[in-house]
Order: sequence, then C-alpha cells, then structure tokens
Amino acid sequence: MKNILPYLPFLIPIAVIQIALAVAALVHIFRHKNYRIGNRGLWVIVVVVFEILGPILYFTLGKGDD
Amino acid sequence: MNGWIAFTKKEFMEQLRSYKALTLIAVLFLFGMASPLLAKMMPVIFSQMPVQGISITIPKPTILDAWVQFFKNMSQMGIIVVLLVFSGTLSREVTKGTLVLPISKGLSRNAVILSKYFASIISWTFSYALAGVTACGYTFYLFGRFSAPHLFFSLFCLWLFGAFLLAVIMLAGTVVSGNYGGLLLTAVVLAVMLAVNVFPRINKWNPVTLASDNSSLLLNAKTVGDLSAAVWTTFSLTVLCLILSLILFRKKKL
Repeated sequence: MKNILPYLPFLIPIAVIQIALAVAALVHIFRHKNYRIGNRGLWVIVVVVFEILGPILYFTLGKGDD
Repeated sequence: MNGWIAFTKKEFMEQLRSYKALTLIAVLFLFGMASPLLAKMMPVIFSQMPVQGISITIPKPTILDAWVQFFKNMSQMGIIVVLLVFSGTLSREVTKGTLVLPISKGLSRNAVILSKYFASIISWTFSYALAGVTACGYTFYLFGRFSAPHLFFSLFCLWLFGAFLLAVIMLAGTVVSGNYGGLLLTAVVLAVMLAVNVFPRINKWNPVTLASDNSSLLLNAKTVGDLSAAVWTTFSLTVLCLILSLILFRKKKL
C-alpha cells in the first residue's frame, strides 16, 4: 500500500472522472423514462458495473431523444 | 456558406447537449492520463500480487512503455469510443426526419454533410490533442525529460486514422438507412481492413497500419518512409469517402 501512496495524486483525478461520468449517466437515467434500447434497471446495472464504458454506452446507445 | 455556418453551430450545440463532447473529452483525457501511470505502476502492481514459486522479473518501465501504452489504449478503446459517439450523427437525423425542414427551407445538402464532418473532426482533434498533451505532461512528470523518436509523426498517424474513420461514418450514414446501419457498416469496413492486413503486400497501403504500427515507429522498428504510403492512401480515401457521401446524399430520400 505504501508504494501506491505517491501515485494518489494521479489516481484521484482518474477516479473523479469515472465517478463523474457514472453520476451524470445515473442522473440522466432517473430523469428520463424512455430509452432507445433496454429499460431503467438494465442501464443502472450497466452504468454501475462497467466503469467508463457503461456511461458511454448509455449516452451513445441507450439515451432516448428528448 | 451561411447555411454551413449555422448548421455547424447547431452541430456543436448538439454535441454539447447530448453529452457527446463530454464523454469523448473525458474518456480520451482519461486515456492520456492513465497510460503513463499504468506503465510506471506495472512493476508495483505485479509485486503486490502474491505469486508462489515463481519470480517475475519485470524490466524497469521506460518512457517508451508509457507511449506504447498510450497508443495501445487510443487505437483500440479510443477508436471504439469515437465510433460509438459519432456513428449516429447522420443516420439518426435521417430516421427522425429532422433534416427535412432545414433542407426544404433552402439549406444545401452538401452543407449538411460538410458541417457534420467538420464538427466531428474538430471535437476529435480537440479531445485527441488534449489527451496527447496530458500524456506528455504526465510522462514528463513520472519519467523526467524525454525524447521519443517519431513521436509527433505517430501521433499524427493515429489522428489521420480517426479522421478517415469519421469520413467512413459519414459515407456509411448516407449509404445505409436505419439507426445502427451506419455503425454496423463502419465496423464491417474496419473488420475488412484488419483482415486484409494479413497479406503483407497490401499491408503497406492499408490505413489500419496507421493505428497499429505507432509502437514500432517509436521503437525504431519502422521508419517514416514505411508508413508514408499508408498516410497517402488514407488521405485520399478520406477525401474519396467525403466526395462519395456528398454525391450519394444528394440522391438520398429524406
């Protein structure tokens, strides 16, 4: 664990971006009812389980048109 | 010309509103940051793993490892992300019928294609440059002063491949109808190019080499001259794809 400490300044921004993407996707999922494919449960699981790729998939494939 | 400017503005607006710009910039920035870090931390990660009976010796990571990692991430995941983000840009508007109104009001059909291509290439360039600069900065911080051979040229190669892919997406969007037809056709084109890469004779001209040979450029296994043929074919194919999509889009039923 000690070896990882010097890298924390780098790991934190990476984690922030991952979490920010996931939160943005989750907010969008819960604010909207209609999706192009899939349903709410599926997208919540995809976004939470697959880091980075999940939110991207949601924004590109799943997000319905406003 | 006025129509082109207005439509380009609308494209940028849409990229912002639909989270496309956000995802692209965030993901490519992430790759730029994570690649040198991963290269640097690889020995640490391996030493944390309890392995019994086997001693793994890993050579000390170098600057080149960082860039090899960068090109590996960018040419695989990065290209997939670009494909996902931009694949629907034309086909979705065609299926939704949102293009009918502006075109019947006098927007030229060429302007639609050109401004879509322009907007997508600008955001690809911006996010890719951001990733490159981030990777430069972090490599400098983690490894110190560095000079990698042909670094700028290999960065340019991957950028050109992205630009080519965007042109293929435009063409696929005009040829195939339906939401995911364009994405599928682009994936098929990629797959064919990868398959063709097996033949060493065509290899030299194949655009895919621009995305796969960056590491060998850095390791001095290839020279700029080896790739120049591929650069020219990619450039001409990009222009060809754009011209074809301009012509085909004129005849497309909206």
